[in-house]
Amino acid sequence: MMFNLIYKEFRLAAHPTLYIFMLLGAMVIIPSYPYSVVFLYGCLAPFITLFYGRENNDTFYTALLPVKKRDVVKAKCLLFGIAEIGQIVIAAAFALLRYSIMPDGNPVGIEANAAYFGFGLIIFALFNLIFLTQFYKTAYKVGKAFIAAIIPAVLCIVAIEAFAHIPATAWLDSVSPDAMIRQIPILIAGIVFYIVGMIFTYHVAAKRFERVDL
Amino acid sequence: MNMLTVRGLTKKYPKFTLQDVSFSVLQGRIMGLIGKNGAGKSTTLKSMLNMVCPDKGHIQMLGRDFRAEEEACKQEIGVVLGGTDFYQYKKLADITAVTRRFYSHWDNPAYQKYMQMFELEPQKQIKQLSNGMKVKYLIALALSHNARLLILDEPTSGLDPVARDDLLGLFQQLVKSGERSILFSTHITSDLDKCADDITYIKDGKVLMSAEKEAFIQSFQHLKKPGESGLLTLEEIMVRTERVRYDV
Repeated sequence: MMFNLIYKEFRLAAHPTLYIFMLLGAMVIIPSYPYSVVFLYGCLAPFITLFYGRENNDTFYTALLPVKKRDVVKAKCLLFGIAEIGQIVIAAAFALLRYSIMPDGNPVGIEANAAYFGFGLIIFALFNLIFLTQFYKTAYKVGKAFIAAIIPAVLCIVAIEAFAHIPATAWLDSVSPDAMIRQIPILIAGIVFYIVGMIFTYHVAAKRFERVDL
Repeated sequence: MNMLTVRGLTKKYPKFTLQDVSFSVLQGRIMGLIGKNGAGKSTTLKSMLNMVCPDKGHIQMLGRDFRAEEEACKQEIGVVLGGTDFYQYKKLADITAVTRRFYSHWDNPAYQKYMQMFELEPQKQIKQLSNGMKVKYLIALALSHNARLLILDEPTSGLDPVARDDLLGLFQQLVKSGERSILFSTHITSDLDKCADDITYIKDGKVLMSAEKEAFIQSFQHLKKPGESGLLTLEEIMVRTERVRYDV
């Protein structure tokens, strides 16, 4: 049944910008760009999709199907998880391409390195936690939930870009093998934070949605 | 056989309470759920379907406890929420392609038959359909997974008289075989004069009466004014019961 729900998400509920923003992971190939902004697009995609869903009575349609109410939330979490991880995978592929054809670093901000991807996963986890748990309190106040979630995400992005300009954290802005090894714990922390965060987000959001009166 | 039994359904809101609502829908019959706007008809239907979390109450649907076996019950029902359009810019074919996956008894030849019968074009978008056609499309989906109980919330609201008459005729056809039942909420009581077998009247969140239509009408004849002859219609019963005098 979960496969059918995810099929429904992609075929009916996902706004086309979900795919476009996923592809924007490719922006790490731009020679000079604040790459953390890519994650901002990743955060916009769930917002636009839930907004689009609200206007199309997506929740009502799904609630009438022979599925559990909490599975409605699980399918949404999986949709956004696929989009976010998809963006990370595309960005990683283009980061490899970028440094093989343009080995000079990014003069504007942080490099697309291991720490960058670790921070990206933390931003997504934090955004999902606030956005989805707030949204499923009502299942319609999407703008309020987005504002609450995007502010911490933007602050994280500003902090990450600032690391590239602070001498003490210069190792975070490097693609040298030594620096990348030092960055591995951040990547692992990001992966753990994302997985645990997503599971926690689902449980809290589902519990809230079960109490919502549609 | 009862297709649906609602017992003691209660839902409290800060300014409204649906209180102890009980009624039954028999197999092969059309039950009209009447009441003025805001009386609690939609809340009753949504509470039954778990879309609204009731504080109390027991729902027996098609021989099953709805709370315990929600998914199995939903396999055998069709729900139409009047005025709620899903995915306005999607084609009917796309919505059907998704919906059919959720029903183990999906009958594609039957779906094709109903689409032709109702003159629905799969390549049309939802927003291109008239309100009457939207209801028919949702009924086509429900019938294609062999729904035995149709729950329709204000399906005729906003329809022109011809479209309403067309739908009411369809409802009667659907229960003719005796295998299906319809629970149909409306504030347009003349619809029920035409097609309902039983009536449940909700007033201010409480069931005022639930009975077979003739018995229901008979029980309200005390509302007749002196000199009036003939039976009061459902509309007259509702208007006289709900009438408010304003001292202005």
